[in-house]
Parts: sequence; structure tokens; C-alpha cells
Amino acid sequence: MATRPYRAVAAALLLGLTLWVWALAGALFALRWNSIERPNPPLRALFPYGEMRIGVDASYPPFAAAGNDGLYGLDIDLGTIIAAQLGAPVRFVNMGYDGLYDSLKADQVDVLISALLIDYSRTDEVFYSIPYYNAGLTLVVPSDSPIHGMSDLSGLSLAYEFGSDADLQARQWLRRVAPFTPRPYELPTLALDAARIGDSSAALVDATSARLYLRQHQDWNTSLIPTSDALYALAVRTDHGLTLEALNRELEKLLGDGTVAALIAKWL
Amino acid sequence: MNAVKVAQPFISRWGLWLMRVWIAWAVLVQITPAGPRAPLDAPQTVQTVHPVVCVHTRLIDEVYEWVIQRSLQMVREMGADTIVEFFPWAYAEPAPGQYNWEGFDRIAKHARNQGLHVIARMGFVPAWARPKETERQTTLNYLPDESIDEFARFVAAFAARYAGVMDQIIIWNEPNLSFEWGYQQVDPAGYARLLKAVYAPAHAANPAVMILGAPLAPTLEPSGSPNGLDDLLYLEALYQAGAVPYFDALAMHTYGFTEPPEAPPGPQTLNFRRAELLHNIMLRYDRPDKPVYITETGWNDHPRWTKAVRPSLRVAYTIQAFEWAEQEWSWVDKLCVWAFRYPAATRSYPDNFTLVTPDLQRKPIYSAIQAYARGWERSTDLWLPAPIAP
Repeated sequence: MATRPYRAVAAALLLGLTLWVWALAGALFALRWNSIERPNPPLRALFPYGEMRIGVDASYPPFAAAGNDGLYGLDIDLGTIIAAQLGAPVRFVNMGYDGLYDSLKADQVDVLISALLIDYSRTDEVFYSIPYYNAGLTLVVPSDSPIHGMSDLSGLSLAYEFGSDADLQARQWLRRVAPFTPRPYELPTLALDAARIGDSSAALVDATSARLYLRQHQDWNTSLIPTSDALYALAVRTDHGLTLEALNRELEKLLGDGTVAALIAKWL
Repeated sequence: MNAVKVAQPFISRWGLWLMRVWIAWAVLVQITPAGPRAPLDAPQTVQTVHPVVCVHTRLIDEVYEWVIQRSLQMVREMGADTIVEFFPWAYAEPAPGQYNWEGFDRIAKHARNQGLHVIARMGFVPAWARPKETERQTTLNYLPDESIDEFARFVAAFAARYAGVMDQIIIWNEPNLSFEWGYQQVDPAGYARLLKAVYAPAHAANPAVMILGAPLAPTLEPSGSPNGLDDLLYLEALYQAGAVPYFDALAMHTYGFTEPPEAPPGPQTLNFRRAELLHNIMLRYDRPDKPVYITETGWNDHPRWTKAVRPSLRVAYTIQAFEWAEQEWSWVDKLCVWAFRYPAATRSYPDNFTLVTPDLQRKPIYSAIQAYARGWERSTDLWLPAPIAP
């Protein structure tokens, strides 16, 4: 009679051990499976026209702009590098922003690389890649400042550009926290000047403006505190899943090996 | 042994659970707050001292009726007495001859309640009026020749339904751009045929209707370009195709881009006064008193777009543009700013054309236009002077 509970415990242990072994085997298999370098599908499977046609609105420096020698900018470099890694000839199709998504839908281009913010309302028509840049608003404060976020501004002052997104965000925060002194300026650079020379406790500007300004003022020790996200990504049609996978794979490599960071440092 | 008789419960165990679930559901329904409603208030009138002020709204894709109502209240409070709004064919006629006017009705109803005139813009071809997707991929702007009469029937039905409410109808948008013309080579003669097909049925349906020729996109695209055609060349070609009798007024789009409103126009320049060049063409081919409605104008204040200006300049240029139109352009009836608000952020520079955010937060330019339109004293110190290092 005493052996029955023993058998039940033994059976439960055996079952647990079996499940554990299978789970371990599954995990090891998944690790191995994901670590295998697989060749990309044939070029025609990724880009049916034999080239990577990239839609871009080249009116948006430093991401994309048109000069006498053609298009240039961060997005142009990024597209060129990805195409080279995929072994595809590249062709940039320059168009207005209004036409970008329509051109993708009408099969005029294979991929959009144009400082595109991920727009969740479009995800029934397009797939977005992993993001490669965050252009959201950021607080710029001296590195020894006690400010670590918007809620620390109470009783202090905040510089921003009049009429900008930062202006809107500052007015929203004025309704949420104890008052701070809003200091609107005509330009984001003037707002940053105010923070740099101590006229304001902090400046609120978009990340790109902050980066471009700090390139010119490398002696100013600052902390950048992101307050909102604005993620840039590539976009393909939802029936081009293979293309998206290939683009994501290459983008991951470029993010991992520091190529994207180097491009950002080059242009911003 | 006598069997013990156990009484069966009146409600079974499952029935009891069903009743509990039903009670829980009923309680949840009762405590769930009702959705916001948008009851009509007493009819309003617009207070303005500058009736040229007008704004292009984007209400048709708005989900909530209360947002439509609030947007139109804000337009009225700003001092604009007219809006331009898009009424897509594809939304109202999902199958041939089957109309669903609900979305259009709620805009018309609230606009009238706020005392606003509505200029209706028509376009967007339903899937049933385009080639099957298996045959050819097309966009909503692709109108095949065999569907032109269907479109004309729809415009007539619209004109009849909204007679007295929306008597100005713009046929299509920027047909001089390839993507607005369904990714085909642009075709002024084809557009003239479209106007001709629409004109008589619309007037038969509503004798007071005013058909507006489509506004052209300001562009310098040369003849033969796959992207489009210069608006001056297109308008000339439209007149040469015999379109004169088929539109009662012309809509125009004119943007300032980086130049101030008084900057002189030129055939190779895109700026606010390019409208004067279009009007000169009208004067050559058309009756001199044919009205013009500028249904899109404005400046953009995106921090990075090359065709944008700073927000401070945007405010100044926009007000100067209204003053210019009132003083210099007697032939312009309305100057409509693009755009009042987007239903959702585009998350790129088009967001910087708007006067209020998607969550209805006023931008400083809204307040500036309001002060101008209502004749209020305008603020002169909107921003601080440049900081000076000690």
C-alpha cells in the first residue's frame, strides 16, 4: 500500500524531467536555428525588377536632399549600404512626401527610406522595419543639472522654439506639474543658446536640432533626456514579407556593428 | 431500504452560473460610461471682420462625431465663415447605386449648425468603378473612362441631396499631378471631358450648384514628365481643350513655401503670388468675372523640411497673405488655409501645415488668425529676444 504514493511522485518527476528535457532541446534548437547564417533569397524574390527601387523625398536634409551631384544624406547612405549588402543595384526615386506611400502601393518602388516615422494607422498596408533613428523631443540640460525629466522643471524655466512641437509639449506639461517659466524663442538654436548661457534651466528641442547644435558646441557638457519618441524606419508593402525580413537582417547587422551610429555621427 | 428522494433544485447549476454572468454583464453595461454625444445646439453665426478667411478641414476620416462638432466650433470661433471639405465618392457609394450618406450628413449638419458654408471637393473612385485588382493595381485616384458617367451620376446625386447646403463642388484635386491622376500621364483634355460629363447632370440636379474647376498643384514639372505638368501649362491646355463652359469658378492652390506673400511671381517660381499667373491665363480665355476660390494656401513650419519657414515667419506670412488677398486680389472670393486639423498625425512635415493638433490643441497660428479675423488686438511679443551671453 505504501508504494502507490511513491509511484505517483516518481511518475510526476519523470514527466517533469521529460518536459524539461524537451524544453531544453527546443531552446537549444531555436538558438542554433537562429544562429545559422542563411543566404538571402534570390534577388528577384526580394526585388522583382532586379534592382532595389527606393522611394525618397529628397527635401529633408540631412536625411535626404538633392544637390548638383545627385541625392545625398543619411537615408541615401543607408539605402546604398543595404542595397550593396544585398547585392542589389540601387535606384532612388525622388518624389514628394505626399506620393511616398501611394508609390509603394502602386509598385513604383520596392522600399521607402525617407525619414519615415512609424505610423501604426498604416500597418494594414505597409510593414515597417526595425527603427534606425529616434527623432523625438529631448530635454537638453547641463550635465550637472538636477533636472532628470519634465516633472523636475517646477519652479525653473524651459526654453523652446515658439510654435514648435516643443511649444505644444511644454504647454501640456504646464497643465500637469507645478508651474515653470516658459521661455519661447524664435529658433531652436536660440532656445539652446539660452540653456547654454544659463538664461534658462533647460531647452526642449527635437533630437536632430539638438545633435546639430551640439556639433557646433562640443565644449558644452550636456545631458540629453528624451521626452518623446519619433522612430524612423524603412517601409515595404505587406505582400513583401521576404523583403522586409532581408532588410531587417541587414539593418540589424548595421545597428550591431556601429555602421548606423557612424552614419548618424556623420550627418548629425 | 427505502430510496431517499432528493429534491431537484428549481434552477440547475449551469442555469445559476448563466444567471450570474448575465447579472454581471448587466451591471457592467450600466456602469460603463456612455460615449460622448454631439447634440446640436442653437444655430450659431460666425463673427468675422475679414470674410476672406477660410480653412480647409479634414473631417471625413474623423471617427467621433463630437470631434467633428468641436472642430467646426473652433473654426467658427476662429472667425472663418467657410470650410473646404473632401467628400470621397468611394465612401458614399460602396456599390453601384447604393448610397450611404451618413458620414457626409453629419459634417453638413454640424457645419450648418455652426453657421459655416461648405465647399465640397469630390474624388476617390470606389473599387467597383476601377479595374479588378487581379487585372491591374490602381489607386483611389484612378478613374477609367468607362466610369466617368458613373462619377457624374454620383456628383448629381450629391448636388441634389445637399442643395442649399453645399452648392459649390470642386471636381477632383490637382489633376496635373500623376499620382492624383491615378498614376497615369496627366491629361488636360481628359480632365476637360470629366468636367463636361459632370456639369450638366449636376446643374440639372441642383440649378444653384457652382462647379469649380480643380485646383492645380503648384509645380514646375515640364511637359512629358512622368510626375505631372506645370500648373500654368496645364491650365492653358485645359482652356485649349474647350473646358470654359464646364466650370463656373476655378479653385486654386497657392503656397508660399519659403517666400513672403508679397514676393513677385514668375513662371519658374513657386510662391504665393503664382495665383496671379493662373488668373492671367483665365483672363485670356475666360470671362473676367469668373470667381476664384483659393482652396489651399499656407506656409509650413516643420523644423527640417526645405520648403518650410520658422513658426514665427509662418504666423507673419499667413496674416500678410490675408491682407494681400483683400487689398490686391479683388477676383479672389476665399483664401482657405491648408489645413485646420488632421484626424491623425501624419508623423512628418504635413503635420506642420495644421492650425490645431489631432487632439484639438490650438497652435499659436490659430490664435494669430483668430485675432486677425475677429479684429482683435494682435500680440506683438510672441517670443523672447535672442539671449545674449553675459
